[in-house]
Amino acid sequence: MAGRQVAIGGAGFSAHASKRSDVNMPELVHEAVEDCLKNANCDINSIDSIVFGNMPSFEGVNYPELWMTDEIGARNKPLLRVTTGGTTGGSIGIAGYYNVTAGLPGIDTVLVIGFEQQSCGDTSIGLASVAYAEVSAYTKFGWSMEKNSKFFGAGAAIGIASYQAINYIKRSGATEEDLARVVVQNRHNAAKTWWTHLKMPDLTIEEILDTPYISYPLRYGMVTPASDGACAMLFTTEEKAKDFTDVPVYVNGVSSVSNENAAMGYAGSGTGQLDPCEQIGAVESAKLAYSQAGISFPEKEIDYIEVYSPFPNQELQWLERLGLFEENTAHLRYRDGTTAPNGELPVNCSGGVNSTNAIGASGLERIAESALQIMGKASNQVPRTVHTAIGHSWGGTINLVTLMVMSDQQKRKWKGGE
Amino acid sequence: MVRKQIEIAEGIVRADYEYWVGKYMDKFYEGLESQKFIGIKCPTCNKVYFPPRKVCGDCFKTIPLEDANLVDLATTGTLINFTATNYAVSERRKKKSEKTTIIGLIKIDGSDTAIITPVLETQESDINIGMKVEVVWDKKPVGSPDDIKGFKPAGGT
Amino acid sequence: MGKKLSAKSPATKPVVKQEMKQKPARQQATQASKKEGTMERVGIVGYCQIKPSLDLQMDRYEAAFKAVRGALDSANLKRKDLTSVISATNDYYDGRTISNCFTVEPSGSYLKDESKVEMDGAYAVLYGMMRVLSGNHKLVAVWGGSMASGFPYEVTTLLTTDPTFDRTKELLNIMTAGGFQMRAYMEKFGISAEDIANIAVKNRKNAANNEFALPESQDADITVEKVLESGVLSSPVTELMYSRPCDGMACVLLAPEKQALKITNSPVWITGVGYSQEQYYLGERDLSKSLSMENAAKMAFKTAGITNPKKEIDVAELFEHFAHEELILSNAIGISEPGSQSEIPVNPSGGAMSGNVLCATGLVRIIECAKQIKNEAKDHQISGAKRALASGQIGFCAQNNILYVLEGGEK
Repeated sequence: MAGRQVAIGGAGFSAHASKRSDVNMPELVHEAVEDCLKNANCDINSIDSIVFGNMPSFEGVNYPELWMTDEIGARNKPLLRVTTGGTTGGSIGIAGYYNVTAGLPGIDTVLVIGFEQQSCGDTSIGLASVAYAEVSAYTKFGWSMEKNSKFFGAGAAIGIASYQAINYIKRSGATEEDLARVVVQNRHNAAKTWWTHLKMPDLTIEEILDTPYISYPLRYGMVTPASDGACAMLFTTEEKAKDFTDVPVYVNGVSSVSNENAAMGYAGSGTGQLDPCEQIGAVESAKLAYSQAGISFPEKEIDYIEVYSPFPNQELQWLERLGLFEENTAHLRYRDGTTAPNGELPVNCSGGVNSTNAIGASGLERIAESALQIMGKASNQVPRTVHTAIGHSWGGTINLVTLMVMSDQQKRKWKGGE
Repeated sequence: MVRKQIEIAEGIVRADYEYWVGKYMDKFYEGLESQKFIGIKCPTCNKVYFPPRKVCGDCFKTIPLEDANLVDLATTGTLINFTATNYAVSERRKKKSEKTTIIGLIKIDGSDTAIITPVLETQESDINIGMKVEVVWDKKPVGSPDDIKGFKPAGGT
Repeated sequence: MGKKLSAKSPATKPVVKQEMKQKPARQQATQASKKEGTMERVGIVGYCQIKPSLDLQMDRYEAAFKAVRGALDSANLKRKDLTSVISATNDYYDGRTISNCFTVEPSGSYLKDESKVEMDGAYAVLYGMMRVLSGNHKLVAVWGGSMASGFPYEVTTLLTTDPTFDRTKELLNIMTAGGFQMRAYMEKFGISAEDIANIAVKNRKNAANNEFALPESQDADITVEKVLESGVLSSPVTELMYSRPCDGMACVLLAPEKQALKITNSPVWITGVGYSQEQYYLGERDLSKSLSMENAAKMAFKTAGITNPKKEIDVAELFEHFAHEELILSNAIGISEPGSQSEIPVNPSGGAMSGNVLCATGLVRIIECAKQIKNEAKDHQISGAKRALASGQIGFCAQNNILYVLEGGEK
């Protein structure tokens, strides 16, 4: 029936690398699908419908799921395509949840698939095309489109992150060393997770601070890679979950509250973003998802979190905006070990987006790794028992955020829809 | 009175893409170098795919990339459908040209799949569904789909 | 010798006020049925269409704003009432990545739970519907569209092809796929080009009675000859048999049953939906039929409790990319015999041929059905229409179809 409890029954990955030159796109995605079905102890016949997403500018292919229908097991099945840029992985996870909870007859088990094969194209052009039309106005002031591209390459993901970093550092007193510490922790974690890209078990803070700046205060050593890879997850009903896993992971809260884009006064945007690390969208998403999941004290009730932080300052900012640490203190929690795998609130034990970034899949991988931690099946499983965990993602021109709150307990009834 | 002014800002951004073809299509490309059509057979259902694929869509099973499953196909086929158009659609633009291109859906003999290539050395009024066709190779084989210039009516029928 | 289709193309105005067959009295649907195998009803409580144009004199932000604002106004609702917004846009059509990130403000999504479906707008309605059924949302806006004047549509269809083979040959695109499909259909059923041209004639005449049709599609005087002589698109398809893409935008508002009944006296109910995707390779598909629409219809009818669509459905609005595709889709749905024309009115609005706004066309089919059910379709109203079908599609030869059953007309 509609509004029913949703559970995660399994997750799977392909191996990620900077160039998966041994496979074409359908084969890459097929690896993740096979891994997910294997981990959920089922075959494609258990799947009733499919949700698919990626960021299509990276491969230069429009609607790639049409071409790879057979490889993703979508032949003669219902399929929905959801894409929201960097948050695609989170959005398809949320769409998977809605597919199940809607209670459409015959749709109980949904396969959610996200992927990217970024080595097919130029990542910076794929990112910059978010606003080529808007910035083309600069050509009227004597800039060539080529110069625009270069300027924009700095302005796109990196530029946004560095504006956030500068504001965050000013607010909190965090240092560059703190940023490097976040990267070291993530890359060490990635080394213990089988499917990741940048496995760097011996990375040190000094090595990172030794690399040149790419955009102050971010250094080359802190930057997220561009990866090829895919992720697939199985969402199902409470009743069927036990067919797939011993420890069903219940999806209790989902939200994707969008903020204004970064261009002040353009297309109706009002105030613009005076402090890009303020992230009202994240704060509102957290409020909504927590109230759905019945979480009143996130700092006490959340046991594990995977946040979407291609850049280290973002990891600190998200942990604060999502209510897990007090404002301007997140960097201290990295100094004192709270966020380490054996700490009180482990963060990104998969290495996060800072270690692996196949954009269409990366948001889903945050959800998948959090779910696996609850199941006790993650590669880099934390010692404490994880009851409640969060998968988060971020994207757009800083304005899109998704959240999924998961737990080993079903949710208490939420009356928000009345 | 507001005078409407339209400014046009023009620019081109080059976005180049290169696609990994995967190990299965590699076999197809290699075969083209020696002017051969290499397909693959699913050991579970015996369906033959040309060009080769990793996943048999009917079975949803991976076809092992072994010599035992690779099939050397004839370079002839049957025309199962066709269309003719003066529109040339490239990755950059759609253009109407003077030239009419006949495009065929050609089922390669010995396979269960069809490929889409030009139909050459004939006119639309002379072709019909079911006719036999044979490959026309490009002058110099380089091991890419460009080696297949198209198909022409098979000699004799 | 070709099989002659029965002459259903109306010749004079008023064009599509067709006689309603006698129907058995249908039971009044009261509360949402909780029977096994059905779904809770979702209400369409408002809508807005921007009239399509070959060159809409506004940017996509203004168009998105007008569509969503118009839909809210049509229901006397405010932005604060919205809890979720789903957009339907495509990065390649908009020429930018993350095509929904700049539309957050104009579409009323600021600080709302928002997402995007990158398919035809009818699929965005599906996602919006799921959000309503979840119980998490009490008013969802679904909007979508694109500006075909700003991008070469047929090129973007080439970009969906297999880059390791098909794309290198630059032969497969929406037009040539349509050519294959029409030829397969004609061969299979012995249909003539005239029979297919009749559908184009019907739709373009119907468009003349649709104030929201593309002016270039409206032609009350069109003839079969004109369609056949309009130039080859990709044989045997001619230019006037093709639903050419154009600019536009549209929006619908969805609400759960309880809220819908508070918002409006005459909600239109979605009582069934089905969707399905076929395989990619044209050579392995039977192009004379639509397996994906057969599967979509099965799923939708099962949910809505429809066993005999010819008798139980009053009107259908189908997304036909080509004139012949309307016949194929009608066959697949079961409202016509294979190779024959539909026995119920199809596309009184003119269908996609009246204005093919990529990412909005299927959404507009839903709006057109809502108009029929609410008796608001004016000059193309099918009198007494209470139960309708709306379809959307994506991919070559309609590789993926979605079909809705819509009902209403209660007071």
